[in-house]
Amino acid sequence: MKKPITITNILSNVLMMTFSLLTIIPLAWMILSAFKPHAHIVRHPLQPPMTWYMDNFILAWTQGHLGIYFVNSIVYSMTATVFTVLFALSSGYALSKFHYKSSRIISMFYMLGLLITVHSVIIPLFIMETNLGLANTRLGVILPYIAFGLPFQVFLSTTYIKGIPDAMQESAIIDGATFQEVFLKIIIPVATPIISTMFIYTFLGNWNEFILVLTLTSDLTVRSLPVGINSFAGGMSRDYGLQFAALVIGTVPMIIFYLIFKDKIAQGFASGAVKE
Amino acid sequence: MTFSQQKRMSYYLFLAPGLLLFASIIIFPVFYSLSLSFTSFGGYGRPVFIGLENYARIIRDEVFLHSLRNNLLIVAISVFGQIPLGFLLAYLLYRRMVRHGSLYQTMIFLPITISPVVVALLWNQIFSSSGIVVAIVRKLSGQPQYVMKIFENKQWAIFPILCVLLWMHTGTYMVIFYANLQKMVPSLLEAAQIDGASESQMLGHIIFPHMVGTIATAAIFAISGSLKAFDLIYSMTGGGPAHFTEVIAIYMYINTFKYYKYGFGSAASMIIVLLAVGLILILQYITGKLEQRFE
Repeated sequence: MKKPITITNILSNVLMMTFSLLTIIPLAWMILSAFKPHAHIVRHPLQPPMTWYMDNFILAWTQGHLGIYFVNSIVYSMTATVFTVLFALSSGYALSKFHYKSSRIISMFYMLGLLITVHSVIIPLFIMETNLGLANTRLGVILPYIAFGLPFQVFLSTTYIKGIPDAMQESAIIDGATFQEVFLKIIIPVATPIISTMFIYTFLGNWNEFILVLTLTSDLTVRSLPVGINSFAGGMSRDYGLQFAALVIGTVPMIIFYLIFKDKIAQGFASGAVKE
Repeated sequence: MTFSQQKRMSYYLFLAPGLLLFASIIIFPVFYSLSLSFTSFGGYGRPVFIGLENYARIIRDEVFLHSLRNNLLIVAISVFGQIPLGFLLAYLLYRRMVRHGSLYQTMIFLPITISPVVVALLWNQIFSSSGIVVAIVRKLSGQPQYVMKIFENKQWAIFPILCVLLWMHTGTYMVIFYANLQKMVPSLLEAAQIDGASESQMLGHIIFPHMVGTIATAAIFAISGSLKAFDLIYSMTGGGPAHFTEVIAIYMYINTFKYYKYGFGSAASMIIVLLAVGLILILQYITGKLEQRFE
């Protein structure tokens, strides 16, 4: 069946096109500008680069210490994500398959955690970490990252594991398996689809996190990419070419990550807003 | 050890690591923050109890009131801007009103991966005197010396930031709504179409009632997200010039970590929590009424 083209169709296409262009043009402009020297950016902001000028990237990487920030960001995001997902899965298993009375209360407790934002605990967290000597250390960043990832991930894993039939676990237990074995050999393999969603969603959140690192660290050697880019491109460097290069270094890996995993990311966001 | 003891042991073992971290890093600090908010603690020495004085000083502070106003504008742009626009885009995709829907979806959802800091600095460049916006206005208006003055106006300085927030988050809501629209039973719409229902009738009587819950949940996200707006504004303007673009989270941050007023800052952070809970309760009341109407 061929649909006739209507005014609604045209308007819909125009609207979609406008939104897409509004997203793409600023990013394209940023990437192109990163290949232009400062003077060219200031004088002719709309012109494409004349040559593929690479110095901005080299200087931003070395002067802006982006290499260190990049490594820190990977360490923080990976470590915290692995532990968040692991703890969320074991909690989700306990809360959905053991059927104890306390499970309901603990689930509620985690749900409340969804409403608590970093800002409402950042002051005590700073005081506590300073007293414990955790401020300015990698561990001091990773621990809060794990904790703040938990409420939503526990919610996701509990909902998913609830859907796995109890019978699978029961027959294994009758055959003499321990609960740890059930968790590792039955629950985790069956939950693989949700695990990848959890992993990607948590990683993205950690990678872009800002205020925790901003507050809990002050040494250049332990800062992450967003905080590093902010101090370099936002304040220290007045060279627009370097600024754009720093922004591109912060963005392009994530755009690639996005293009590979966009369905999983979308699933993570969408499953948060499902009405039970 | 009996089987039931063994089961209970495993239960606690599975829960322990998560709960331990959650309780010590999130729950305990919330109460810590609440108790600090009644003191004049400044970072060292013993906290001195001063009752509600911090709160009283905050609500009389003109900078706070302007921040509150900015925060409420951000809530408004998310609830009445991002959500309806996101819904409209999702609806167009769902009803297949456009070709290449998945390509559009990929492009519009893209800002979600970009760190707010990068978004902030990029838009600063766009609005700067060598940015796209200014360059285009100069070309169109024929005024080669035009520069953006909007950030110098106390009332209007927040508006460019609202536009950037719209840019960042509309795609997220589109994706959320699109995923939930796809969960609808298609035969319901087909039947309605055969019975001769118009597009607006289907939207009003079938699709919207189905989506009320999702929209309400999205609005909860929007409200709590808007009240904690920090990263983007902190790197775009730092709350300046002269507090024009400040929001409560930045007000809290500056007072705490720049002026070392820990007690005062804690009170400000408690106000963020109270506001979020209050707005969410109002929203749940409205949703309850709406759902009753559709029952």
